[in-house]
This record gives sequence, structure tokens and C-alpha cells, in this order.
Amino acid sequence: MEKEFIRETNHSVSLNITAGKVDSFRETEKTTGTVRVYENGFIGVAGCLGEPDWDELTKRAVEALEFKIPYPCALEGALDERITLDDEIIPIPEFIHTIQRFLDRLGELCPRFAFSNKINLVSRKTEYRNSHGRHLVSSGSTLEIGLLAQNRGSGNLFDAFFVWDGNEYDEEKLLSYFKEQYDAFFVPAEIESGRYPVLFMPGYIMPRLFTQFMDDMYASGVSLVSGKFGEKLFSDKLTFGDDMNPASHPAACFFDAEGCVSENYRPLLIENGVLKGILTTKKTAENYGLPNFGNADAAYDGTPGIGFHNFYLDPTAKSLAELLPEKAIFAAIPDGGDMTPAGHYATPVQLAYLMENGRIIGRLPDLNVSGEFFDILGKDYIGTVKDDPMKGVILCAFEMNVKVME
Amino acid sequence: MIRFKSGFYADIRTEDRFRTVITYKAGELEELKVRTEKQAFLRVYDGKMWYYASVTDLEHLQATLDGLYAAATENPAIMDDPVVKRFENNRDRLMSFEGCSVRDVPVKDKQALLLSYLPIFAEENCVTMAEGHYLDRNSVFTFVSSLGADIAYDYQTCGLAFNFNMAEGEKKFNGSFQNGFVRFDEMKGLAAVLRATVSEQAAFLRESVPAEAGTFPVVLSPEAAGVFAHESFGHKSESDFMLSDESMKAEWEIGKTVGSPILSIVDTGEVSGSGFVPYDDEGTKARKNYLIKNGVLAGRLHNALSAASLDEGLTGNARAVNCDFEPIVRMTTTYIEGGELDFDELIAPIKKGYFIKTINHGSGMSTFTIAPHIAYEIVDGKLGRPVQISVITGSVFETLGLIDALTKEVQLLSFVTGGCGKMEQYPLPVGFGGPFVRVSSMTVQ
Repeated sequence: MEKEFIRETNHSVSLNITAGKVDSFRETEKTTGTVRVYENGFIGVAGCLGEPDWDELTKRAVEALEFKIPYPCALEGALDERITLDDEIIPIPEFIHTIQRFLDRLGELCPRFAFSNKINLVSRKTEYRNSHGRHLVSSGSTLEIGLLAQNRGSGNLFDAFFVWDGNEYDEEKLLSYFKEQYDAFFVPAEIESGRYPVLFMPGYIMPRLFTQFMDDMYASGVSLVSGKFGEKLFSDKLTFGDDMNPASHPAACFFDAEGCVSENYRPLLIENGVLKGILTTKKTAENYGLPNFGNADAAYDGTPGIGFHNFYLDPTAKSLAELLPEKAIFAAIPDGGDMTPAGHYATPVQLAYLMENGRIIGRLPDLNVSGEFFDILGKDYIGTVKDDPMKGVILCAFEMNVKVME
Repeated sequence: MIRFKSGFYADIRTEDRFRTVITYKAGELEELKVRTEKQAFLRVYDGKMWYYASVTDLEHLQATLDGLYAAATENPAIMDDPVVKRFENNRDRLMSFEGCSVRDVPVKDKQALLLSYLPIFAEENCVTMAEGHYLDRNSVFTFVSSLGADIAYDYQTCGLAFNFNMAEGEKKFNGSFQNGFVRFDEMKGLAAVLRATVSEQAAFLRESVPAEAGTFPVVLSPEAAGVFAHESFGHKSESDFMLSDESMKAEWEIGKTVGSPILSIVDTGEVSGSGFVPYDDEGTKARKNYLIKNGVLAGRLHNALSAASLDEGLTGNARAVNCDFEPIVRMTTTYIEGGELDFDELIAPIKKGYFIKTINHGSGMSTFTIAPHIAYEIVDGKLGRPVQISVITGSVFETLGLIDALTKEVQLLSFVTGGCGKMEQYPLPVGFGGPFVRVSSMTVQ
């Protein structure tokens, strides 16, 4: 009988901010344990909250084999690899004081905005072992800033987001980064409807597009890329996948729920425009005759399913100025859009900025942007920049149809 | 027995959550799990800061509570604090599902129920893969506070969700169906409904055409109308958004006209379904709250902090997704009240427009969005071809004023997957619904 053992611990300290003041402190620590066993083509899973009793969990996982859930046993081989990025970012006893000082300074620099929501210190550790001698440990910490900004008097739920995450707290750089956006917010800008380069954070546009790379959709013929594995379908410049690399995301786990470790910790869906990967688990990879993608997720008591962690795109330029030297649009908040089965993608943009020479210079009215799936990732893909204007920020640009809303 | 200290407000919420998840894909069992989790969330308030802890160790709650007290600052005047003075002090035991708990239904019966519906998908040639889910949840909550509140109540939902990929030639479509209930027996006898849904979505695959983009009259089904009310106005009614900006109270003055005179929107935790919240997570009893009444802003949703800040009454809307989080202001069941017409009368005046029958998702900021799943043209007052629409959008206030007709009957709906998201807390089960709603102009893309 083959076995897997997984222990995961999440520790977070979360501050709530209301009207620029810290008004609550929340500390959470959660440990989960998982045992999976494989026998005769079936899987049994048992999980627990709290410190795992491995013998008890194994016994329950063996009992769960009775459900007869088919799952191929294809455990990864022996490997001992550990990545720990546990440097302290802000000492917890100083956390409230440090963040309140940051908020006070932010409030002075951005007096017309009222700030609220959360700032978190998060640490995660995941340990994986299997009966083939594989032992993987991944741990890391990150500071997550997620501030809603209300323009005082606007009457809106919020008018802007100030978000950033990383494992270095540089107060001056963060204030400068947010101040640039604040200043531009109050400078009205105009644009005519037409076609423009539009810049996005990948987490806004990619979720609607990457569903086309899901195993079941691909295999059942419903995906726009069904049957095209290995073909050159997209821009030469586009390399796109799941970023599980702790160098980019300090709290990321470099291995997936099935103990798979990818090259550079970044399994790729598209490489230089070629369809190179489809999101699978080991089970669906075997069922559909596809290479296993290697980014599966699983609940602590569930069978593995397809996952996605962080969007990765190969940088194609060193700076925003190099990527977008002329007029462009930064879609800071493009929320609610979707794609039709035929691949027409459209979304309103509730907060858009005009950019020139890589810098935001003013706020545009509400827009709608649209494009076709193969064009967006093909001829209309302009490129990607990382760490500009701030370390940890990744931005990607596409030529799109832009309609100014009246 | 918990010992509360004077000089602080404190409360402890526990949840014993039972869940069943059964999934079949392409006829093969993918997942079968029965999970029970017990957690607690503790709060201490000293008049200046809130201190929270989330724990799975329910045997040592006193030690955790004492740790929070140690972090806080004793306040002899805490009972005069405006937030503390707002809290209700209810003592109640309300078990609505003891005689029909899903905990007592054998998992084999749940498995058999799901399996009984799967052959329906094989009846349509264009279905290339079908996935079915049985999901249920039964929770028992307790709430105690330093004011003497002592409440126990239960909550239950169950349902079926199906995703079915459809392809024929170059045409492709992701079909889906889900429905939420509160009792296991309610899920029997769904074959006809499911068969009709699959048939309709197969027709959508074969016959739908891209919608003409532009500005048109749009009719929303109860599902779409409920999501519209939730996204366009419900979130704006969550008063914690007003705490950071004083001017929002003036902008959102009670009595201000915000919509069409035929429009009334309600939020209440009293209704059975996924938004059933007989007591919220601060121990406040549910009630019916009008957000809009006859087009006029009539009320807001509160927790104790927002109610105290805005000097208004509690509404029963302090909710947390689970015991990992503190309660914040959330909706329960939000719906538009009915009007006067029937469906044929509603669409009769429309020369060219769209009917949104089912949706993929929605969102709400100053512009709200609804991403339709199944939609139809309306031409010369009749339903026409199925159409593909990426998203419909509108300015919230403008659209509320453009609602010009409603049907009589209101349908209230529950989803069994997904839920409402608000910043870090997702997915929260909510209920929603309404009549069929006609909006004279929306942007279609």
C-alpha cells in the first residue's frame, strides 16, 4: 500500500483598518493533517484539524478505501528538498505600531482618501512525505496589504485599491508607490473610444481566459484549445503558467498537493506561444493521456483536484516605459467581465488610468474593454513587466477595443 | 462554564459544522467525504480595540479568552460604550432541523440520489462530459456573551449541482444546473426539471448567436434580478462601508429617492434557505429590513459597530463565513418585492431587448455587472433566439431608476455552491430572488 502524509500550518496576524486606524487584532493558527493511501487502483483519504495523529489518520484513510474512489497510484520518487523563507518581516509585538505609523503617513500624503480593510502577516508551512522516500518542506512569510480607498464624498463603496504583497517591508517605497496612484486619481484624463494598449494585473484578466486550459473542458472538446496540444496558437512572446516559485511569492508552496515539483517551480501552460500544458491532476492526466501539469490542490480531507496559485508570465521588457512607450490605459479595477463560449471577452473597467511613457498620469472615465481569446493571447499580446513600479508587481498588456462609457 | 471578566465586552461563537461532498464525473466516483469540524471564534472589546482569536481546541476556550483579556486594556466604563449598549441579550434554543438533519441520512442514500440523476445527461448526444455534486451542510451554532446572551440554533442546506460540457462541431458550451434546498427529501423528484434544463441548454448550444452589443431594455429572471439586487444595492447597504467616510451618511440619507417608485428591496434572515440566519454572529435576532421602499432609501444593514457609529438600530446582519473570521456586515436573503404584471405583459412592449434567464456571476461597485449564462432575444414582445452575452453593466443608481415593471410572483432561491464574497470572506451562503424585472435600458456586450 502506498501512502502520502501532508501536514500544513497557517499562522496569520491580521489588522483591520477603519478610517485609517487599526481597530482590531486577529491572530489565527491552523494546522491540518492529511493521509492518502492507494491500493488496487483506489484512493482513501483522511484528514484532521489540529495536530495529526498519523496512525489514527492512516487507519481512517484505509477505511475510506471502501468508498472505491478510483485513483491511479503514481507517487513521485525519492527527493529531499526544502525551501524556507521565514525571515521576520515585521516583529509581531511591533506590528500594530508599525502599521499605524504607515497609515498615519499614508493619510497625510493622501488626505482625500479614507482607508479601510486589512493588512496581514501570513506564514505558511507545508510538509509532504510519501512511501517512496520523498520529503518536501516549503515555508515562507509574506506581508499582505489590501487597502480600500474611498474618495471622501464620492458616495462609492470604494474608489481604488492599494494592494501589495511581499516579504520586505519598505515603508518609503510603499508610500511612494501608493502616492503615485493617488496623485493620478485626481487628475482627469480623456481618451476617445478605439483600440489601445491596456495594462492589467494578471489576476484580473487571466482567470476568465485560463479556464480554457482546464482538463475536463479540454478533453470533452468544449475548450477553445481542445485537440491543439503542442500547437503554436499564441504570441511568440507569451510564456504563461502557474507561479509556485517562492522567489516570486514568498509564502508559495513550491510543490503541489501530489508532491510534484516543476522546473523553476513554474509549470507552464504556454511556452513561447505553444500550448504546452493543460491543468490536470495525476488522475485526469492518465485518463486523458496528457502530461501531468503538477499544480494540483486538495482540501485537507479530499482527493486532489486541479488548482492555480499565482499567475506567471515571462517578462518581455525591463520597464513599463520600454513596454508601453506611448499612450496606454492601466485597467486598475476591471471587475465583473467574462467570456462567451465563442471566446469574446468583455469587461467594464471601474477604475482606469491614462499612461504615457510607462507612468500613470491621470484618471479616465469608466470604460469597457473587449477582445477575442486567440487575439488577446496572440497578435494583441504586447508583453509583461515585473517589478515596475514596485518590487513584486507584475503587469501584462494587450491591445484591446476600448469604449468610453457616457 | 466560561468566566467573563468585568471591564471588557466578550463573546464566544462556536460552530459544529457537518458537511457531505459527493462528486461523480463521467460516471466515476471522484470524491466522497463526510466532514465534521468544530471551531470557535472569540472576541474581546475594551472600547478602543477588538481582539480576536480563532481556535479548533474547544476544550481550552477559557485559556484563549484569558489571553485576549491580557492583550486588551481594562475599561471600567465599558458598559457605557455605545457599541456594547447596542448588543441584544437573547437567550434561546432554536433547532429547526433536528427532525430532518442531513447528519442522519446515510451517505449511501445521498450517493444513490445523485447517481439516479446522472443518466439524464447521456440522453443528449451533445453532452461530452457530465459532473454531478451532492452537497449538504448542517451546522449547530452557540453564542454566549459577557452580557448574558446564551443562544443555540441550527442551520441546514443541501442540494445538487451539475456541470455538463457540450460540444457539437465547432460549437461549445458549458452547461450547468444547481438548486439548493433545506431538507433531503426535497431533492427527490427533480428528473423532469433536470431533463428540461439539459434540453434547453442543448438548444442554446445549437442555436445561440452573439448578441448585438449596445443599450437595450433587459428583462431579468428572479435569479438574475436577485443577483442584481444583491450586487447593485445590497452591498451598498452594508453600513461598514460608511464608517471610513463621514460624508457617506449624507449621501445615503434615509428618505432619499434612489430608485423607481415601484421598487422595494428587502433583506431578512428569517427566510428558510441558504440565507437563513435566525440569529446573527453577534447574537442579534433576525428581522425584515427594507433597504428600499417604493424607491426611497428606507434602511441599512448593520453590525453593532456600524449601528453605533451611525446611531441606528441593529438589523441582524453581522455574519462571518466561518470561525476563522470575525463577523462583518453581510446580507442574508435579499430580494425585490413583486409588482402587478405577468411575464407576457412584462415583455409585450419590448421591440428589441434581452431576457437574462440564468447567470454565471455578478459584481457590484459604482458599475454593477452580470455575466449571463442563458439569455434570449426579445423581439416585438416575444421571446426569440438564444443569445450569447459576455456581460451586462449599468450604473447602479441610474439602473435602479430605470426599473419600470415587475411581475407579481416572487421566487426566492438558494445556491448550493459558491456564495457571496466580501474582501477576504468568501463564500458566504446567501439567499436572493425577486419577480421578473424589466429595466428600460442596460449596456449589453
